[in-house]
Amino acid sequence: MSADVALSSEQRIGVLKRLPLPASRRAYAALFALFAVSLCALPSFVSGYVMTLAVEAMIAGVFASGINLLTGYTGLVSLGQAMFLGFGGYGIAIGTALLGWPLWISAPVTLVVVAAIAAPIGAICTRTRGVEFLLITLAFSQMFYGAAIKLRWTNGSDGMTGIPRPDLSLLGVSADNPTVFYYYVLAVAVLSLLMLWRIVTSPFGSVLVGIRENERRMMSMGYSVANYKIGSFALAAVICAVAGILQSQYTYFVNPDAMSWQMSGEGVLMVIIGGANVVLGPFVGATVFVVVKQALSMITEEYNLFFGIFFMLVVALFRGGVLGFISTLIGKRQ
Amino acid sequence: MSALEIRNLRKAFGGLQVISDLDLKVPPGQRHAVIGPNGAGKTTLFNIITGWQPPTSGEILIQGVPVQQGRPDLVTRGGLSRSFQKNMLLESVTVLENLRVACQALDASRHSVFRSSRSFSDVIRKARRAAEQMHLDTVLDRKVNELSYGQKRQLEVAIALCAEPKILLMDEPAAGTSPDERNSLIKLINGLSPELTILLVEHDMDVVFAICDIITVLSYGRVLATGTKDQIQSNPQVIEAYLGRRHA
Repeated sequence: MSADVALSSEQRIGVLKRLPLPASRRAYAALFALFAVSLCALPSFVSGYVMTLAVEAMIAGVFASGINLLTGYTGLVSLGQAMFLGFGGYGIAIGTALLGWPLWISAPVTLVVVAAIAAPIGAICTRTRGVEFLLITLAFSQMFYGAAIKLRWTNGSDGMTGIPRPDLSLLGVSADNPTVFYYYVLAVAVLSLLMLWRIVTSPFGSVLVGIRENERRMMSMGYSVANYKIGSFALAAVICAVAGILQSQYTYFVNPDAMSWQMSGEGVLMVIIGGANVVLGPFVGATVFVVVKQALSMITEEYNLFFGIFFMLVVALFRGGVLGFISTLIGKRQ
Repeated sequence: MSALEIRNLRKAFGGLQVISDLDLKVPPGQRHAVIGPNGAGKTTLFNIITGWQPPTSGEILIQGVPVQQGRPDLVTRGGLSRSFQKNMLLESVTVLENLRVACQALDASRHSVFRSSRSFSDVIRKARRAAEQMHLDTVLDRKVNELSYGQKRQLEVAIALCAEPKILLMDEPAAGTSPDERNSLIKLINGLSPELTILLVEHDMDVVFAICDIITVLSYGRVLATGTKDQIQSNPQVIEAYLGRRHA
């Protein structure tokens, strides 16, 4: 007779309760640790090209995390989050390149301004739901995209250049070095991830999940649902703006393409591929997205066609995205 | 002062008059049922009381304070909580999480963004108490979509109780339950604090008679009769319009 059978169900529950973490959590913690160690050690093992891809994946992961807060956790599918990616990029460009402010002032000012702009936009957009929400966010995004193309003081469609990377001379290194910039992006990405994790595990986060599950019930519980939706919209915008700042520092420039609807659509794809309403999902989705797209583009010029097929396969075969699939596997093993 | 007072309430959907000149007073602690045939306006009445639908005219006072229409959250905060006719639960999360979120709604912690929801032990304690009250303490860690229908109905009521209401509105709490589940639900509701005012909409007359002291009969949006169980059972108009001979 196996030990498992010899224990009564109550004894087994008692043993499980004494373990520091449930099995699924331990599995996730192990996955997370493996992920973190791999990312930290990456520059020692790979070429500059792979590191470039890793930087792009991490920036995309931060962007998709912002979308995940709104889409995965709150249940509001937006096609306009790229406007906040653009606001982040333009904000830092205006602060540093146009006004000559140091980065440590420009970055927080940008994020505060983005939150201040996002709140009223959110107040309008969250009065709608479903397809209407998707379309109104798209409309706002296209409106700002059009404005960015026309504005002369931000150089119209040419965009703005000369965006500096952070001054890390105190640490004796330069952020223009690809390895140093990689670690800088990694640090910001981890901080964003931790912030997002804290938000979604907080009482505020549980209200967002409740809104996604049953908005009417949340209202009848006594929650002012409209305010929570606006809060979620603004926080998601700030996270997307952080990605915009990183993106503009990475390329040293920003142009209206950062605000295009294609960018918003790609962010949503990353969330779906990685797994919505899982904190790490967007990072996994962004990594898969960047790597597969790069690989396909090296094989054929018509890579978008094959990427579409790849996306359909992921949706059809991995319910809940890659992490959702892994989660199901862990659940089955348990 | 009445726990709930409704004055000259009227509600029309276009040309269709659903509620006409309805007056109702429910004193504190009373168990009051609203019965009537389908289309009598019972659920519409509940939706108006809880702020989900605006009345065409008339006034609703909860403990003397007028209801602010369009803000069900403020109605709950004002001391009136409701359970729904169809389950309105957070299906993909656990029973405890449903109750924790419900208890958190009236707690200052609801705005907290940077602290774990597990660190608010008072809220979790309240949630566990609500579960015990409705005999759900053995299924706390189960997801709602794994519960039996009867347990879901119990959870509906438990969520409404988390708001620590002065008035509880229950819209057909026993709908769709088995006889055993129904009897268990009646026991649980009768075990609630006698200070709690209950307004109940229910088609099952055995449930109504087992729970309520006073019954109001609605017919085509008008009050047909109000009285005790015996008065209602012997009212010829009520028998004609709704009860039939079995409950008379």
